[in-house]
Amino acid sequence: MAKRINLDMTTVENREMRLGTIIGWDGSAKELIRQSAYDERSIKKHGGCKGAGEGCKLCELQSPLNQETMCSNAIVQCQIGNLTDCVLITHAPIGCDGETPKFNLSMHVGLRRRGKPQQNTLNMSTNLQERDMVFGASEKLRKAILLAKERYNPKAIFIGMACATAIIGEDIDSVAEEMEPEVGVPIVPLHCEGFRSKHWSTGFDVAFHGVLRQIVDKHPKKKQKDLINIVALWGSDWFSAMLKPLGLRVNYLLDCASFEEIRQASEAVATTTFCETLGGYMGAALEDQFGVPQIDAPQPYGIKGTDAWLRAIAKVVGKEKEAEAFIESEHKRIAPKLEEFRKIFAGKQGMVLTGSAYAHGLISVLNELGIKNEGALVFHHDPVYDGAGQNQDTLKELIETYGDIPHYTVSKTRAFQLPQLIKRTKTDFLIIRHPGLASVAGHLGVPTFALGDEHIPVGYDGLLRMGEILIGVLARTKFNQTLKRHVHLPYNEWWFAQDDPFKLTNDKHVFDDIEKKLNKA
Amino acid sequence: MAELRQIAIYGKGGIGKSTTTQNLTAGLVEHGKKVMVVGCDPKADSTRLLLGGLAQKTVLDTIRDEGEDITLDRILKEGYGGTRCVESGGPEPGVGCAGRGIITSINMLESLGAYTDDLDYVFYDVLGDVVCGGFAMPIREGKAKEIYIVASGEMMALYAANNIAKGIQRYAKTGGVRLGGIICNSRNVDHELDLLRAFAKELGTQLIHFVPRNNIVQRAEINKKTVIEYMPESSQADEYRQLAKAIIDNENFVIPTPMSSERLEEILLEYGLMENADDYRI
Repeated sequence: MAKRINLDMTTVENREMRLGTIIGWDGSAKELIRQSAYDERSIKKHGGCKGAGEGCKLCELQSPLNQETMCSNAIVQCQIGNLTDCVLITHAPIGCDGETPKFNLSMHVGLRRRGKPQQNTLNMSTNLQERDMVFGASEKLRKAILLAKERYNPKAIFIGMACATAIIGEDIDSVAEEMEPEVGVPIVPLHCEGFRSKHWSTGFDVAFHGVLRQIVDKHPKKKQKDLINIVALWGSDWFSAMLKPLGLRVNYLLDCASFEEIRQASEAVATTTFCETLGGYMGAALEDQFGVPQIDAPQPYGIKGTDAWLRAIAKVVGKEKEAEAFIESEHKRIAPKLEEFRKIFAGKQGMVLTGSAYAHGLISVLNELGIKNEGALVFHHDPVYDGAGQNQDTLKELIETYGDIPHYTVSKTRAFQLPQLIKRTKTDFLIIRHPGLASVAGHLGVPTFALGDEHIPVGYDGLLRMGEILIGVLARTKFNQTLKRHVHLPYNEWWFAQDDPFKLTNDKHVFDDIEKKLNKA
Repeated sequence: MAELRQIAIYGKGGIGKSTTTQNLTAGLVEHGKKVMVVGCDPKADSTRLLLGGLAQKTVLDTIRDEGEDITLDRILKEGYGGTRCVESGGPEPGVGCAGRGIITSINMLESLGAYTDDLDYVFYDVLGDVVCGGFAMPIREGKAKEIYIVASGEMMALYAANNIAKGIQRYAKTGGVRLGGIICNSRNVDHELDLLRAFAKELGTQLIHFVPRNNIVQRAEINKKTVIEYMPESSQADEYRQLAKAIIDNENFVIPTPMSSERLEEILLEYGLMENADDYRI
């Protein structure tokens, strides 16, 4: 089979090149599925039908106004920077490390959730100044590597590129290669400069690419037949309880993982994830290059998705019987409570605003709870994932199971569009994972669930956890309406009066009108 | 007291920008003008003739070795006829950012008070092509308002000149930068004078002076001198004096109208294929 992932280069191929990722779209989910042509792309990914890629470029809405909360460099910091025994040196002016306190908090929370000892992130910055930009800063990087070794004695050292260092062509590959024998641990260059990709999720791929090239054991001496890789973030360990009946232990990658946990990824029996956006690259590469199968199944959300996911894993490990027994008992266990929730939420509307594949999972959960979804916002759209498995088309799976979403929006954390998105769906509540957006949405009078622990909606228990939480969220409706009356967002009346979140894109004369108004004023 | 004229000299690499700038500077000195020459090329050879050799430590080398707490006399040397000479310099080849280095150097010159009121002219002698934003620094932010492009009748020199004109046009829209003319540093190409005149006209500017090819220039270079210092009586010295006078008197400053590659090719064809009256065949 053709290799879907190329690990020869130190740089990762951008997500938009590899997958055809877009960051602007507005229409029905059904139409996006049609235009995405997942099946054709899947065939191509698997080495067949070379012509399939021609003419299947997805149309993308361009926005003249953009907002952004992070970049690939920040993603690498929250992935690689959250390993327990490896150092990340960000080779950049120190401002690129501005989010370190936030990611340090994430790491503490994550470690506590997983029952690991608390510790701070092992992040360093080369703190580049004007002189470093002019003369080159490789010497400073060499010193930082030696200092990292002396100070933390890490199992590996990662070097993160930034915009400034990428522009002046800092040769982090050569420095890494040259220093490795001296330092005695893997030194991994990560080409994660922010400007290189239009979407931050390329940063996930950069992080996985680095560990796949230099940390994951290329020649594992043994197989751990009870070990399964779960590509995750910082979520609570609810996967163990779900996979224990199949006799499996969980190996979470990458946040809060140790060097050894990453190294042993090639010894595992399979790889799966809570989110194909995140886990696709790692899963496909482990299958292609290390022979660890990637679970080709829907994501573990809602009853149908979780059933299928468990069955696919069971098939790989030969535990079909155990899986069926577990599924049956879980269905029975959650049924009464689920029935209660469905009554409570009857007639309610919800709206999810999160990363792409994860949103598909969350919307499944809302549907199971009897909550309708007229609209959804995802921050980007991958028309295909790296795995390109027949059962991994998460959006198609969602729509075929629960019906179309008429207002399905792809837009990159552009908070200015929230008034229109909320207005046209008349949703009763929102679910947001990126806290900055949650605050804006909360000010618009809609109760908002800032979902921190991304594993909350996973699996059968995920339905019950979400049900309990959403009752609490809906109870805040009046509070948010009161809040709306007393706070002001920085948008003018004209913008609030608009119905189209892509007015600035779709109305060719919008800026003429604005200019006229300004001139009058 | 006349206003300070800040002038940037651009042109294809190897066309003779530094040689022309320094010889021109010597001409201006004879007119009693106070001139500062700022070399904006990592090779740091823009002031060699005025200083009698590569006698100067560059701004960037000084910053690298001594830090930013330096005095002006560490980076500014007095050369021929009281000219002030500065070399911006650059990082080691292949590392860092030479363009950013120019920005750093010029900022440093400003903060150290190099631009004194007694100066009549400042020349920025900039590396071959305007390869990135840093090399456009002298024509941004209201520094050099006048540009002269050194060119010859050779095709690549004209290509480069046309590209530089595009850069000037970009900054002319927002800043006050204008093209003052084309200086021809002759390579003895057929019909060079006519070709350069036509080229300058197409750009909307003038051929401000045609400097003929003369081996005295090379001899003066070997002796680390400008032609005016080395052989003040030579005809070539007069050529540079004339260039200096033309620049002093110049009032023809324009936003250039760069041409398409096709149009440039047309002009080259027109002049390149003309029958030569004194054509000789071996």
